[in-house]
Amino acid sequence: MRRRDRGRLALGMDPLASSGRKKACLASPEQARPIGAPGSLCSCSCCRDQRPETNIQPSSAGKSADMKNLCLGAAVVAAGLLISNPYHLQVLTFIGIYTLLTLGLNMLMGYAGQISLGHAAFYGLGAYSTGILTVHFGWSPWLTLPASILLTAAVAYLVALPILKLHGYYLGMGTLGFGMIVFIFFREWSRFTGGDSGLVGIPALALGPVDLSSRTAYFFLVWGTVLAGFEVCGRIVNSRVGRALRAIHDSEQAAAAMGIDTSRMKVHVFVLSAVFAAVAGFLYAHMINFISPNSFDFMTSVRMVTMVVIGGMASIWGSVLGASVITLLPQWLHVFMDYEMLVYGLILMLIMIFIPQGLVRGITELYERSRTR
Amino acid sequence: MQELLQYLFSGLTSGAIYAVIALGFTMLYNATGLINFAQGEFVMLGALSLVSLWKGFELPLAVAFAGSVAGVAAVGILMERLAIGSVRKPHPIVLVIITVGASILFRGVAMMIWGKDAHSVGTFSKHAPIEIGGAVLLPQSVWILVIVLLVVACLQFFYRKTLTGKAMEACAISKKAAALLGIGTERMTLLAFAVSAAMGALGGILIAPITMSSYDMGTMLGLKGFCAAMLGGLGTSWGAVLGGLLLGVLESLGVGFVSSSLKDAIAFLLLLLILYMRPSGILGKRAVHRF
Amino acid sequence: MPQSIVELQSISKSFGGIQALYDISFKVRPGAIHAIIGPNGAGKTTLFNIITGLYRPDEGLVLFEQNPIHGLAIHQIVRLGIARTFQNVELFASMSVLENVLVGHHARLRSGFWGAIGRWPRVRHEESRAVEHAVELLRFTGLEELADQKSSDLPFGWQRFLEIARALASDPKLLLLDEPASGLNAVETSQLGELLMKIRERGVTLLLVEHDMSLTMGISDHILVLHQGRRLAEGTPREIQSNDAVICAYLGKD
Repeated sequence: MRRRDRGRLALGMDPLASSGRKKACLASPEQARPIGAPGSLCSCSCCRDQRPETNIQPSSAGKSADMKNLCLGAAVVAAGLLISNPYHLQVLTFIGIYTLLTLGLNMLMGYAGQISLGHAAFYGLGAYSTGILTVHFGWSPWLTLPASILLTAAVAYLVALPILKLHGYYLGMGTLGFGMIVFIFFREWSRFTGGDSGLVGIPALALGPVDLSSRTAYFFLVWGTVLAGFEVCGRIVNSRVGRALRAIHDSEQAAAAMGIDTSRMKVHVFVLSAVFAAVAGFLYAHMINFISPNSFDFMTSVRMVTMVVIGGMASIWGSVLGASVITLLPQWLHVFMDYEMLVYGLILMLIMIFIPQGLVRGITELYERSRTR
Repeated sequence: MQELLQYLFSGLTSGAIYAVIALGFTMLYNATGLINFAQGEFVMLGALSLVSLWKGFELPLAVAFAGSVAGVAAVGILMERLAIGSVRKPHPIVLVIITVGASILFRGVAMMIWGKDAHSVGTFSKHAPIEIGGAVLLPQSVWILVIVLLVVACLQFFYRKTLTGKAMEACAISKKAAALLGIGTERMTLLAFAVSAAMGALGGILIAPITMSSYDMGTMLGLKGFCAAMLGGLGTSWGAVLGGLLLGVLESLGVGFVSSSLKDAIAFLLLLLILYMRPSGILGKRAVHRF
Repeated sequence: MPQSIVELQSISKSFGGIQALYDISFKVRPGAIHAIIGPNGAGKTTLFNIITGLYRPDEGLVLFEQNPIHGLAIHQIVRLGIARTFQNVELFASMSVLENVLVGHHARLRSGFWGAIGRWPRVRHEESRAVEHAVELLRFTGLEELADQKSSDLPFGWQRFLEIARALASDPKLLLLDEPASGLNAVETSQLGELLMKIRERGVTLLLVEHDMSLTMGISDHILVLHQGRRLAEGTPREIQSNDAVICAYLGKD
């Protein structure tokens, strides 16, 4: 008897038992249903009446994401229409490109729990493939977009197949090495890439008669892509695939025992994040009209990881924050160039040591804790 | 033939340095199971400290040598105390990010202290180059090979004969069991960080006279050291030496017979190959858990 | 109806120099509750891991519905209809109770990346059917009202039940339970017993590796006793309880 009481106590103390319905149910021990007693499913009237409500649809999460997407969309439209300062527009466009990069890497790091220290390679592959095809072969940019996506995806797939069998440190080193090889390739294959002096003359984008090279048009193009990216990521996270990814993150062993082909899943999400980077690279190349290897070096990969870490892993919305911080810091701190590495290093270490869940969630949690105190 | 010998000499020289860096990785990995992405930065710090102490302050070589090693070892200890030791959830991905952060931080600090320019120092001694079979062996190469051999011998002695070395090995096998036996695992971790940082510094000191040293030299050397460690088998000292020498020779042959622009790519291609095909390396007996 | 759902044919397995299992043969009849018991180090868990595909036997065959399954990847074995739970409860801690059960459906659903992005009607239909089924399973295990709680916030006993619900989500023909009663108190253990009987009524065959004698003896139809990697005895609970060799192994010789 005493044991039974202890079991109940444990339930009653559940800190998250917040819904009134459930409290009412647990409050009366006689009526409380013993666990694992099928059929006797909560006999108290309070629960029976509300049973249909327990049919929780996971789309409730999807709905709030839809709302957020709408809000962001409205903010984007407002910003695009109101801001006329070309410099501000350009900074915002950069934030958009970085957000795409962060979003893709976050799917890999935050949801699948795999690190990549060479993601700038995919960013670069996207930029260089469209650059080379337009400059040297005269392709239309709208043909090179699918081409650069396919090429990057194919490279990512070939790299991922063996590399994602590795874990943790080895995966980090493996992706770092891959990033270096691609960087060296950009620098040395100068017949097409222009080597260290870069690739000049990448055409601006135009959609039929509509010129997209104006700052406002490009702003809308980039942020439209970002919104689409948000929608895609949101849908994936709340699907069978997304659940499988999060399951791998929580426990790879248990995920396999659910019939999840863990290595296949990881390869898929790796390719997905590479495609995001490729699209970002495409947008970058056609915005700046010039690319050089230094935009895709190891520091760029580190910057991408830093953006993910700032925004918080497994937080789609953190991506905007991470991208904003990393883009705006150098704008605010004019001496930043000299301290760039110092600051990134400190950010990475401090966040990982003190608030590994990222700035957004870390600060909310701190706030909540201080309030309950 | 003469050409081949020349490539072999230069390959063995840089290979010996890779071997020292690889030993740093291996020692830390053995004691803590951690791969330090800032290992290459210890090399850079070692090289630049030597530049300052020997050339800048004009201290005797031996003093500058010892000072650099000790200083970098202190940085290693500091890193363990301030960053690694205070992590609550030591998940590999967290530790990777922290050590990557540390490496960037060290680079930033080095850039502030030594600037963006590359520095050079003279060779350890002013002997004339030795000629063997038509190929030239530089005195600095002899210095490097001799010092590396000495260090490897010392390490072997440390692991095989001293109590501390054995305790360190015990920590590697099972931290919990070692702690239960009364081994201060925390002290061992600190010691491992200090020694592996010192190894990195040694690599930097040895390489400083034959290359230009700058704040951003670490990443490449660190990766190559890791590549060497993986090649030989992570966790085995002889594997690190073998892997380092092999990598150095392969690189030098690649530069000589294929293309010098691909020098750095060789190491990474090897690294990827070894990660795919035989993660336990050439001498690795224990299967790598690939964790 | 096949005579056995799982059949082990002279399985041997060694780790390094240690022989964990010698020549074990065993048949699991469909629709029954089977148990593997034995003292620590008897090889129970090794046998369990051989069936689930974590280890490959050195010798011998594992047949599932007459087809060999040793050598298949873990996730392939799950898709054939073998689900499992873990000794130390391995839930997906960052997910809700409902989501945990939905992950359990993974092998039964088909939509992939494109489906997730496109959200075609077929995908939405599949998803809502999965949610319905998951809620039904939560109802079955008595966890329905906790559906949107975070799984790591549940008391330990409930986590075990959730793990069973999650395993049932793949509609297994065979459910393997690794020490399901460990960590449970007497009341919870008896509730677990009731639940296992209910699961059998659904037509699922059960195979448990267990330490807890009261549970095993109470619900099992057939018991295999292992001792130091060898088969010590096999039979109904009654036969096992009166078997001299078993008593000897458990209580020491006297």
